[in-house]
Amino acid sequence: MPFDKLRAHSQEAQSRSRQSQGAWGRILSAAPLAAIVRIQTNCWLLRRADAIVTVTTTKTIIREHETDLVVREARAVADDVVVLTLADPRGAELPAWTPGAHVDLILSDDLTRQYSLCSSPSKPEVWQVGVLRAPDSRGGSERVHAALTPGSLVRVRGPRNHFPLVASRRYLFIAGGIGITPILPMIAEAEAAGADWHLHYGGRERASMAFLDELASYGDRVRIVPQDEMGMLDLESVLGTPQPDTLVYCCGPEGLLSAVEKFCESWPPGTLHLERFSAKPQELTGEAEASFELVLERSGLTLQVPPDKSVLTVIREAGVSVLASCLEGVCGTCETEVIDGDVDHRDSVLNEEEQASNEYMMVCVSRCRSPRLTLNL
Amino acid sequence: MSPQGTTSSRFAQIHPRNCWYMLATSDEVGREPLGRRAVDIGVVLFRTTDGTAVALEDRCAHRPYPLSLGRVDGDHIVSGYSGFVYDARGFCVHVPTQSEIPVGARVRAFPLHEDGVFVWAWLGEPSLAALRPPPVTPWLSDPGWSTLGEVWETKADLLLLHENFADITHVAVVDPFIAPPVLRSSPPPLEVEVTETTVSFSRTYQPAPIPAWQAELLGLPADAEHVQHEQGAFVTPGLWVDRWDVYEESGAGETKVHTFRFTHAITPISSGRTRHAWRVSRNFALGEQAGRVLLPIFTDYYRRVQRILETMEEVLDADGPRREINVSADAAALQVRKIIRNMVADETGAGLRRSVSAASRAVRNR
Repeated sequence: MPFDKLRAHSQEAQSRSRQSQGAWGRILSAAPLAAIVRIQTNCWLLRRADAIVTVTTTKTIIREHETDLVVREARAVADDVVVLTLADPRGAELPAWTPGAHVDLILSDDLTRQYSLCSSPSKPEVWQVGVLRAPDSRGGSERVHAALTPGSLVRVRGPRNHFPLVASRRYLFIAGGIGITPILPMIAEAEAAGADWHLHYGGRERASMAFLDELASYGDRVRIVPQDEMGMLDLESVLGTPQPDTLVYCCGPEGLLSAVEKFCESWPPGTLHLERFSAKPQELTGEAEASFELVLERSGLTLQVPPDKSVLTVIREAGVSVLASCLEGVCGTCETEVIDGDVDHRDSVLNEEEQASNEYMMVCVSRCRSPRLTLNL
Repeated sequence: MSPQGTTSSRFAQIHPRNCWYMLATSDEVGREPLGRRAVDIGVVLFRTTDGTAVALEDRCAHRPYPLSLGRVDGDHIVSGYSGFVYDARGFCVHVPTQSEIPVGARVRAFPLHEDGVFVWAWLGEPSLAALRPPPVTPWLSDPGWSTLGEVWETKADLLLLHENFADITHVAVVDPFIAPPVLRSSPPPLEVEVTETTVSFSRTYQPAPIPAWQAELLGLPADAEHVQHEQGAFVTPGLWVDRWDVYEESGAGETKVHTFRFTHAITPISSGRTRHAWRVSRNFALGEQAGRVLLPIFTDYYRRVQRILETMEEVLDADGPRREINVSADAAALQVRKIIRNMVADETGAGLRRSVSAASRAVRNR
């Protein structure tokens, strides 16, 4: 068909469409959401009906990838430790990730827990997470052990990564207990790249320590330290003398993390990478919270944050879509770019240098010391 | 894995290298050496006698002369200056002036993946290539789809191309002819979905007319109204995949979905230069005649985009960067920037992802 004729056709159609725009606007605002949802289910990625319900208040909805996965296998790998193999029910590939990434398992409406991926990024058909049953925890791990049996479905959000493996010639990996999970894919990549690396892995006793078989293949690069045989990890000998061009990666219980942080104070800035799965203990000042003005630059909104509300709550109440997950400053999902303001950082994600740079903040817990906070939202 | 940052600021890394990038189309690579540049690395491509494509560093180990200016001899490539001969693994196997091979005489060989349409190469940390599956675009070779497209260089930085793909609302301004009429109305909410490595967006439009040229191709009345759905995905720094669906309600309550898929394989050549291979695939009007109609329409549109991005690059070069005003619809673009920034920071060992460090400057190194 001749090109000129098409052009003529298109101009006609354009003038018609301009005339009918008003009508579409009315249809849109009154459109039953069910109609949109029905079409969504035909499309490429799975959509959840309840996630679209907020559309009337905002023009852009941002969220993390979230989908139901089936438990293909639940394998006991140590006392009280189970490794779950998760896959798409229809066998679709899962989103790509890199070592250090974690996902949320959404166990019920009010129970969401973060678990590091411990499989290999080279296998996009499955994700694996290692879960320790911790009776004194908030009940998430109990639920995982009891309910997530082969064939069951679990809602999974992510992956996200705030513990990335930065390129280096030398690494020191330090893992305590179930903190071995994110380290496992890291050492596989460090080994493949020919990096000079060592892992110091502490646990209560051998029977409680996951992945000892896999780690055996790395020979003397791995030092296994069961407490009942050898005592605690000897951090003094591992970290006592700063080493050049070496990155330190640590994951484990709070006691280990804070001890490693202390040792690494004398190492070059940027050496230490660690990840917390529970909030870092905050020093309470006893002072009352202040209120401050909040400017959302892209949205063109100026709001007020009262003492009893978080920045995140105020943003959401204003109908602006923003990513968030754990609401306690550990998962890093709500990281938001700061344009102006003296941020009072209270998260467990950013390290000291990152907090000092004042470029990003976790809006779920952090506040502002100055009278006004301006965000790129 | 060694930090890949280089010492000289002239060659400071600003683009991710741990990524599969499209270096050439399959039919461009043959028995003659083909010189290409990507992420500031010169690469020579050729095929061995059994048809296997090979990617080596395009610089003889002897003197700084590109191997792509030499010749392919059997399974080897011969430098056009020194006469050094290299095998497909990059090892020097013959030196004209002596019988012994000098120690260390080799050039880098890059992991390569060929999918029948594109030749993808991994120019970053070599060991990671096996750990990062290459992207798949099966519709490009699926007989159920008809595909057209071109490849050219755009003198604009990779990031400008990404930002362009991350928000298609400009299409109505850039090319009113090609734009679906719904883009000129107040658009419905945009849904943006992120993971560690990807960003996608989608929105569904209430029933509205489609462009006249598309109605013609589908044999539908020009004024008929259809639900339309758009989706775009930043798959890697080297690949965007978009689609536009038109829903046709037939009499018996059945719905036919007519889909355009848009594939953009984009490869940073160096700062401010990008190779752009675009493909438009459709699952309707599969015949050649429709292709002859569509090719000029889409070529015209992508040429307009190319000129606009090149103009932006010129403004950046002349005036330097400035803090930009973003709007709510830029959410996807900002997420893409963040992923690219973090990749560069992690690869170069720049350390801090979230500070005014080399990393964040690197993404906009101007």
